[in-house]
Amino acid sequence: MAMRPLPVVAIAWALCLASGLPALAHHSGAAEFDSHKKIDLTGVVTKVEWTNPHAHFYIDVKDASGTVVNWNLELASPNVLIRNGWHRNSIKAGDMVSVTGVQAKDSSYYGSASVIIFPDGHKLSFLGADDPAK
Amino acid sequence: MCKRVTTGVVCGGLLVVFSVSAQQPAPATKTGTIGLYRNQALAPDGPAPKFADGTPDLSGVWLGSGGNSADIANPKGLKPGDQVVMLPWAADVVKNRLSKQDPEANCLPAGIPRGSPYPWRIVQTPTHYFILFEGNIHSFRQIFMNAKHPDDPDPTWFGHSVGHWEGNTLVVDTVGFNDKFWFDYKGHPHTEKLHTIERFTRTDLGHMSMEVTIDDPGTYVKPFTTIGNATLMPGTELLEYICQENNQDLQKLEGPARGPGGQ
Repeated sequence: MAMRPLPVVAIAWALCLASGLPALAHHSGAAEFDSHKKIDLTGVVTKVEWTNPHAHFYIDVKDASGTVVNWNLELASPNVLIRNGWHRNSIKAGDMVSVTGVQAKDSSYYGSASVIIFPDGHKLSFLGADDPAK
Repeated sequence: MCKRVTTGVVCGGLLVVFSVSAQQPAPATKTGTIGLYRNQALAPDGPAPKFADGTPDLSGVWLGSGGNSADIANPKGLKPGDQVVMLPWAADVVKNRLSKQDPEANCLPAGIPRGSPYPWRIVQTPTHYFILFEGNIHSFRQIFMNAKHPDDPDPTWFGHSVGHWEGNTLVVDTVGFNDKFWFDYKGHPHTEKLHTIERFTRTDLGHMSMEVTIDDPGTYVKPFTTIGNATLMPGTELLEYICQENNQDLQKLEGPARGPGGQ
């Protein structure tokens, strides 16, 4: 069977993935997040916003001095997550999670999550996210 | 004994015409990744369908766009040999635009031919064709078939579109644009003189080619044509996507207009 030309949209997103930054839907990921500022956080989910243009979840994390800070972590839109096998209750308040991703360029407690790992070992991820494990 | 032909099946000399419409997705036998979406039903191999009256059937949920949405001037998204040559004012605009000014980041329409990672649906009626966008943004275009443009259309984000068929290709002519949307993340601009001609050709059951000729003498030295493809998503329906709901990104966007990955 002859190869079909790769859709331009696929090429565009492949470029995003190669950059190590999230292929976010409606804005430049490079303008918001720093691919060199990797985050690896563990904490308890305090709130989930299953909203557009991005879902968000918030986790309480102890910093080096023992102070608890609340991180705001961005996900893709619910539509992207749903078509990656998620459900609106896949992550919920009270869950203990470990999260990898990248931090906002302004160095605030704001990041883009790529992989979420639960205590029983199961993981959540989605295409288009920065995945340090790649 | 049956033999498949372009629009039907010949069984013992009797032509049985069929069509595959959006309301009855083609049976999917395989799954795979389409764009950002995992485990999606893939369209089976097969010819481009037609309605009973012979009109090509483009209806269905598609993913893809008619050009390179990161940078419309990228040669990979242009007809071979075409170039995007800006007038000096436009080059200055691109140089000075900021990511946070991108209408798309502000939950405003992406215009033509800029795409998104979200699927869209074509609906065909005898007089109107509609393109329904899941995002970004959750909006629609209407194409008036075999009609004429008004003499002095009000400038709008998607302009005024009229369509007709040239063989198996749907040709959509659009004028009456406002000057607000960006062609891409880099901020390529246009004026109200913009005139686009889109050509949609369903090449087989699961694929459609799209070409968009962009003619804007107020911004570009000469017209150019973008190229792109769309893939049918037979296993999904459009979902709601209200971008204005919780757009926290704007206050975090820094620096010049650039592609999603910084290119």
